[in-house]
Amino acid sequence: MDTNKKAETKSSSMDDIDKKIHANQVLYDQLHQSLVDEIVSKDDKDQKKEKSRKPDVSSTRNFLLKLSDYYQSNELFRYALWGFVAVFFSTTILTIIEYPLFSSSVKGDVGDGFMFGGDEPNWVDTFFHTFWWAVVTFTTVGYGDVSPETHLGKFLTIIIMILNLGIVTMLTGAVSSVLVAARLKGDDTLDETKFYGHLIIAGWNPAVQSALRLIEANEDSASVVILINETEEEIIKRAVSGFDRLDITHLSENFTQEGVLKKAFIEECGTFMIVPDESGLLPNEKPDEDKTVLTALTAKSILEDIQVVAYILDEEYISHLHRANVNEIVFPDEHIPHMLAKHVTDPGVPQLFDELITQEKQDKGIQVVSIPKGLVGLTHNKVSAYYKFKHKWLLVGYAIKKAGFSLEEQMGESGSPIIRDMIKEQLDGAGIKLSSDEHVIVEINPDDEYIIDGKHKALVLR
Amino acid sequence: MGVNAKQIQKINYFNKVSEDLCSEIAKVVKQKKCSPKTTLLKEGETGDTMLLIFQGQVEVSKNMMVKTSSGFTMSTKSIIRLETTDPSPANKPITEPTVSVVKAPAFGIGEFSLVLDDAKRTSHVTAMTDIDYGIIKLEDFSNIVDKHPSIGGSVYFEVAKSAVNNLATATQDISNLTQAFFFALAK
Repeated sequence: MDTNKKAETKSSSMDDIDKKIHANQVLYDQLHQSLVDEIVSKDDKDQKKEKSRKPDVSSTRNFLLKLSDYYQSNELFRYALWGFVAVFFSTTILTIIEYPLFSSSVKGDVGDGFMFGGDEPNWVDTFFHTFWWAVVTFTTVGYGDVSPETHLGKFLTIIIMILNLGIVTMLTGAVSSVLVAARLKGDDTLDETKFYGHLIIAGWNPAVQSALRLIEANEDSASVVILINETEEEIIKRAVSGFDRLDITHLSENFTQEGVLKKAFIEECGTFMIVPDESGLLPNEKPDEDKTVLTALTAKSILEDIQVVAYILDEEYISHLHRANVNEIVFPDEHIPHMLAKHVTDPGVPQLFDELITQEKQDKGIQVVSIPKGLVGLTHNKVSAYYKFKHKWLLVGYAIKKAGFSLEEQMGESGSPIIRDMIKEQLDGAGIKLSSDEHVIVEINPDDEYIIDGKHKALVLR
Repeated sequence: MGVNAKQIQKINYFNKVSEDLCSEIAKVVKQKKCSPKTTLLKEGETGDTMLLIFQGQVEVSKNMMVKTSSGFTMSTKSIIRLETTDPSPANKPITEPTVSVVKAPAFGIGEFSLVLDDAKRTSHVTAMTDIDYGIIKLEDFSNIVDKHPSIGGSVYFEVAKSAVNNLATATQDISNLTQAFFFALAK
């Protein structure tokens, strides 16, 4: 009797399970049919929105702005422009003062050849002739075919020649400095349009290459990468040669400088990563981690919202990085004791981690995927079912972008206004921000009823 | 001419006291007037009187340590202003308010003196306009309560209510300050 009963309850509980699985499948069908289409169309719209995000300022204005930028930034252009102005100006003056002289010498020089004024040289011919004289003088060539004859003309020429000395010197200097700079920097101008949401890695060490290989494998991640470090070009080229998907640019400059970071369009970047820089170090030398902190501070001072990830070797710097408001800190040493201990207490766990973390294939291992919009607001078990049935992925947990803790929000309207104002005033005065930065936290294996909101991303095991 | 029962009844502590009993109270209230800038109550002093402000605006302030460019100094920081609405002040306040102004028909200050024997004044109260006010002594009030115990219940209830509210705000202030403190330390 008893055994029968047990068997019955067992089979009934099996039935229950079957029912549940069936229910899940029904759920899956519902989710699949109704949500997926909606989700896909929504996501498409979002992408279109992002694309049309570019500013449309009128083109003339744009051109003038660019020209003025160019004038400000390009030394060579600046001197050349002033040189041209000086030549043009002196031509005009000399044409006026020495008109008879230049005019009469036009005929002698050109003979019966082409002239603007027909047989008799007119003012255009004279002006061109004077221009010729000015250029000959300015370039210090000095053919001597024409020269001013009146005292006033000679006097002005003296002034022009002396001025010219300065202009030519500066122009020559600018040309050579531009040439030298170009040789030093290689291809210096980055194409602005392609850098948006890109990855910048400041510093170089062997881990970077491995990291890039993993990023390469995940097709959903950013594909444009800028490396900033002063390691030899050859080494970098060799290290990044094998990548197809990633578009890697190397800036061989000092990444602690604000100008360099701006050149890498840090304001537009998706992630700014700082790693211990081994550029130019001997094998037994340790990277200078002060640079990491300094760079983090510089980046955050350019734009507070930049997502900064810092890889640090020395524990001592962690507090500095926290103070610099770095979003994420990677400190590998903190994992070592756990890994060692787990080999003793839970053999298998470290191997699992190895397997999960070091998995290089794109469609294996633990990954973060964005949750379709249609699933937002649903409970964990539904989202979990979605991934299970739709993709056959195991939903392990969630990575949640947490807005930083905001003291102002926390205080709200509570307590007396005077105290709240005083707190704000005093903290402001002391240069302490009232909120901490956005950062990512993980929620692993939450309750079934756990609600997913828009800030969640799914951590799935594929 | 003294204080009448209607004036007393406008004050929230005495809202629920009947007009007859209010006129009992009115009898022991000493009516006074003062000009702007007069200090009505001084922080830290003990007092056995409660002030009933019938007309005018007063500023409540507290001695606090504040940080200035030259370091920390004690200074008087205004907390709140109280203004009567029935009748409203006879003239404009001498300085523009830098803090919020709470308005009520009339109000009582130093109400803890009705409960405690020698309650310490918790803040300064300064006249901002001409003030028409009355003073009631704990002793006189206790006598009335002895005679008419029904007054006690409603008045003490109101005093207790304001005390509890103050306590709740103070608790919240402490929690805000604690958070701010940790926040400042964490940086």
